[in-house]
Amino acid sequence: MNIELRQIHKRFGSVHANNDISVTFAAGRIVGILGENGAGKSTLMKILSGYQPADSGEILIGGQRVDYSGPQAAIAHGIGMLQQDPLDVGAFSVLENFTYGQPGGLTFNRRDAEWRLNQLCQRFGFDLPANTPVEMLSIAQRQQLEIVRLLALGVRVLILDEPTTGISADQKQQLFNVLRALAQEMQAIILLVSHKLEDVIALCDEVIVLRAGQLVGAQQMPATTSELVSLMFGGQLPPQARIQSHLGDVVLRLENAHLSDRRLAMRDVNFQVRAGEVVGLAGLDGSGQRPFMRACAGLDKLLSGRVMVKDEAMTGRPYRDFLAHKVVFGAAGRLEEGLIAGLTLTDHIALATTPGWAVDWAEAERYTNARIEQYHVRGRATDNIEQLSGGNQQRVLMALLPEDPVALVLEQPTRGLDVESARWIWQQLLARRDKGSAIIFSSAELEELVTYSDRILVFYAGQIYEVPDVTRTSVDELGHLIGGAFMQAT
Amino acid sequence: MTRKGLLFILLALLVGLVAVIPAAAQDEFVFGMILVGARNDQGWNQAHYEGGEYVIEKLAEAGVTARMIVFENLNPVVNPQATVQDVAASMADEGAQLIFTTSDEFEPATLEAAAQLPDVTFIHTSGSAALETTPADLFPDLFEATERVAPPANYGNLMGEMEHGKAIAGCAAALSTKTGSIGYLGPLINAETRRFVSAAYLGARYCYEKYAGGDPAALKFEVIWIGFWIPTPDTLDPQQVTNTFFDNGADVVISGIDPQDALIVAGQRREQGDDVFAIPYDYEGACDTAPDACLGIPYFHWGPKYLEIAQAVLGDGYVQDWEWTSPDWSDINNPDTTAVGWRNGPALSEGAATNLQAFIDEMIAYQTDPANEGSFFLWEGPLNYQDGTVLAAEGEKVDPLKVWFLPLLLEGIVGDSTLE
Amino acid sequence: MKRTATNLFFLALPLLLGVIVVAILIVLVVPPNTTLGDVLQAFWNGAFRNLRRFSGVLVFWIPLTLVGIGLVITFRAGLWNIGVEGQMTLGGLFAAGLAFMLGEGSPLVIIPLCIFGAMLGGALWASVAAFLKVRFGVSEIFSGVALNAIANQITLQLIAGPWKPGDSDKAQYSRPVPDAARLLGVSQDFNVSVVGLVVTIVAVVLVLLVLARTRWGLNLKAVGKNPRSALLLGVPTTITAFSALMVCGALAGIAGSQRILFTYGDVRGQFAGGIGFLGLLVVLLISARGVWVPLIAFLFAIMLNGGTQLQFLNLDSSLTGVLQGALVLAVLLANGLRDRLRKPKQAKG
Repeated sequence: MNIELRQIHKRFGSVHANNDISVTFAAGRIVGILGENGAGKSTLMKILSGYQPADSGEILIGGQRVDYSGPQAAIAHGIGMLQQDPLDVGAFSVLENFTYGQPGGLTFNRRDAEWRLNQLCQRFGFDLPANTPVEMLSIAQRQQLEIVRLLALGVRVLILDEPTTGISADQKQQLFNVLRALAQEMQAIILLVSHKLEDVIALCDEVIVLRAGQLVGAQQMPATTSELVSLMFGGQLPPQARIQSHLGDVVLRLENAHLSDRRLAMRDVNFQVRAGEVVGLAGLDGSGQRPFMRACAGLDKLLSGRVMVKDEAMTGRPYRDFLAHKVVFGAAGRLEEGLIAGLTLTDHIALATTPGWAVDWAEAERYTNARIEQYHVRGRATDNIEQLSGGNQQRVLMALLPEDPVALVLEQPTRGLDVESARWIWQQLLARRDKGSAIIFSSAELEELVTYSDRILVFYAGQIYEVPDVTRTSVDELGHLIGGAFMQAT
Repeated sequence: MTRKGLLFILLALLVGLVAVIPAAAQDEFVFGMILVGARNDQGWNQAHYEGGEYVIEKLAEAGVTARMIVFENLNPVVNPQATVQDVAASMADEGAQLIFTTSDEFEPATLEAAAQLPDVTFIHTSGSAALETTPADLFPDLFEATERVAPPANYGNLMGEMEHGKAIAGCAAALSTKTGSIGYLGPLINAETRRFVSAAYLGARYCYEKYAGGDPAALKFEVIWIGFWIPTPDTLDPQQVTNTFFDNGADVVISGIDPQDALIVAGQRREQGDDVFAIPYDYEGACDTAPDACLGIPYFHWGPKYLEIAQAVLGDGYVQDWEWTSPDWSDINNPDTTAVGWRNGPALSEGAATNLQAFIDEMIAYQTDPANEGSFFLWEGPLNYQDGTVLAAEGEKVDPLKVWFLPLLLEGIVGDSTLE
Repeated sequence: MKRTATNLFFLALPLLLGVIVVAILIVLVVPPNTTLGDVLQAFWNGAFRNLRRFSGVLVFWIPLTLVGIGLVITFRAGLWNIGVEGQMTLGGLFAAGLAFMLGEGSPLVIIPLCIFGAMLGGALWASVAAFLKVRFGVSEIFSGVALNAIANQITLQLIAGPWKPGDSDKAQYSRPVPDAARLLGVSQDFNVSVVGLVVTIVAVVLVLLVLARTRWGLNLKAVGKNPRSALLLGVPTTITAFSALMVCGALAGIAGSQRILFTYGDVRGQFAGGIGFLGLLVVLLISARGVWVPLIAFLFAIMLNGGTQLQFLNLDSSLTGVLQGALVLAVLLANGLRDRLRKPKQAKG
């Protein structure tokens, strides 16, 4: 069964997100969908999976033209999409999520469903206890759950959007094996949207490349990274040089801090960071980076211990006071925590820059336009933030940072961004570092950690281990440490 | 369709509006009726409404075309936008010459409306602004003396002597109870409602001893106040209160509120096999709600008095008065003469009916001539207030205005006398 | 210019549809001897027959607009201030309490004090809900319902106890508010309080300005759309939510004082009359766009006052409620329709 897209068009206001895209996906193939941020990949996949209608164009399945509205209808035609953030329902159990969307209405046969779930798990080697609440699962497990759910619904075209973000190397291997098996045994079509070229190289049989809404190329694999990069950007990126900045005084300090979130408690955390220093936080999701960073920025209260900014005790003070001391937190989820859907770019700038009680809108708009220019944001001052692509949202977040922060505490600042956008973000960050800002950031990309960090802290189950000499460490070594290797060593 | 279609419809509506602009008002007598509840509540409000219909009917016989305009449910819950003054002014705009405001709490607003609309006659039922005596004159210890402001000349009060009806109701309850326990579903607490509860109790106590052969001290008579004439979000639920009475051993509930919730509940309980009864209030046809549970109905006939007032307005003009009108003791159910009456309900047993008639005859005997043998008067001593203080000594008859402004419930009644 | 016209059309469309639905309903329910014309005439008479009728509309418009504009603030902050009815009640009670306490004196002193007291009372009651929300995470919806009921009980207790009429023990209303605190109509025909009108207009203008031009207004919007992001952008989210409720409570308090100091002249059970809930409906209909509050409140006032006259046609009095419900449903329906019609248009342009 082949899938054919014919002359797909989709506009958002003045943006032509998909411009006359025609492409065929053959049964049993794993296809990578490449393109920089805002190239139209996600839009195309959403059209195919029924989340958005196309303005014009046709979708043919096995040569038959189909019309569907909504993801449920797409699933009925055998097309299912695995979201970047799995859309599961947290409080419900694995089994309940598994049966969600299954035909049969209100009366579902629990034993039958459990049997089918176990069958699928066995086949793919997944570990999904039926009665566990979904919120207890790791990201990889949630992904697995979503895959078996879609398969049980009869999906034969599986679309994955950045599936390897936030999962370990082992889990990634397992995922890829499953995807390969699906393609070979079931003749399923796997469409992979990813910025991680190594993933694409490892998994895909072919790639298609989008740029500015148009289909600009297709390539049979294998191909090298540089070949793919030149397809995406029309040129190769030079490697990053590593420049050590001058270190100043200690600007942020945790003393004997006792932290906790829902899952783990961390005792006697001592940490300090100096002006001009970049500290990378490595570790699997949920290993303690989040409470650590939130404590540094005053977002969560310490159970005991102290937070010092420069020489001032900030323990127990609200985040606004940290902000007033130019300690700034940037969260991973842009529209969940950081930006506000429904507010314009100017609104955001005004929020971040208005000191007094009155808002000077003319001034705010002027300033916003200047920032748009300076940060190369593709969007207008009057646009609502959610109308921008993910990369441009990240640029706005950068524009919202003060010019001379004392410390930046950033969760996964380049999550989901393409190589070029990520590199640009780091230019901005390093420019601030050079002016004396301390930077604390977490990342799932080991490469990024190794490239930019002056120091690296590895988190595992609430334990913190500092890598002794960052200049000598490697991605491989870091990968081992993240898996908890330092626990055995100490 | 869409825009053009919508415009067309709107245009059609406008044309229709212009086409039917009403002819100038004819030569008719218009009067207004302002009700606190619904006109078809089988209770207080319906009794007034039908009083108005009686006026129309009788005036028509005399060759006068009359039209009644009604505003029902004038209370903040249902009609927050309307006040008595506004509604009265609207009615005056419609040509009303006479307006009946038929709920106790309308009195201050009616006084204001009367001052604003001097050409319209206002009759407020159950109030006492047109009475020269104030409660403080009679009970200086209980009420602050305030300077009485004379009401506008176009204002008057009207009320029926319902205490007689309530006494008969109390008697009927006492003759029917098997448990010796009677409940009274009270609305809110004021002089009027205390008067009625006390009258019902006195009737019940008298008949319980004399005709049922019971011990009056053993008769349980309890009142629970729901808080208003009709159920609102602020009041107790009258159906729940009625059920509470029945659950706690009472087998007759006398209703003091405007709608017929007590009777409805009694009917439901009878269907479930409980041997319980209720006595509704206000409206002659109230027993129809649940005939099998209805012992009888003390009711108002507003029509005759309303007609008299309407004729005065049409004739030489209404002269301010405070009227407290009695039943027609020659025939308490004569629709053209009596202000207050009683009808036996289908549930009243034959024996009880005989005794009840004997009781009514005793009351009639007194009203015909107090010196008659075998006559009964409700307000004759010894009577004590609930707190044990004396209202009337042995053989003393209570001043009628003291009854009108009765400040406390009588001894023997369980329940609150005042709000505090 | 063209844009304004289009906007106006899109606002008018739902209302038009509502009116048509109502008209159809009326045709279906009116007794045979009454024409649709009579009904429309009655509506017209109820609202516009003469100055006195029109003042009835304005008198109802005043508290409804005050409540509505206050609720725009809480809606902006993402709060469902169901407790607005109780805030109105407490406002009225504070105004009445001050009036009783101060007794006779110069209205120039007493009336401003009473209105200020009303704001305090409303804000105080709102702060209870706000405190429960920010301290214990109790939804303002649940606490609002409870606080409304408590406010009503307080009213009844005050009427029955300290404020009962001195010369009797009428249970339904308190003794009259002293004359010095009474708001007076301009004349018997134009029976509208100038103070009420001015206060309302000033409140609307102030709220709109504050929402559009101040940091606080922007904070409200940010908190309403995404409190977590707002916090990171430096918005004091707790204070913002708290103050939104307090300001709304203060405005509702003024509305309550209008009911006491002008409309009734005494305190009575349920004197707030559900105007708070009506205000929620108003704000819902306009998706919390403050500029439309005065207009929509005006339409509601016309409908309710016009409906008063329907009774004179011997139509069942519950009809007004049914019509109101039908209108609201129609408008909500048309709103959805409008959004559908509008979206592709924008994309094309």
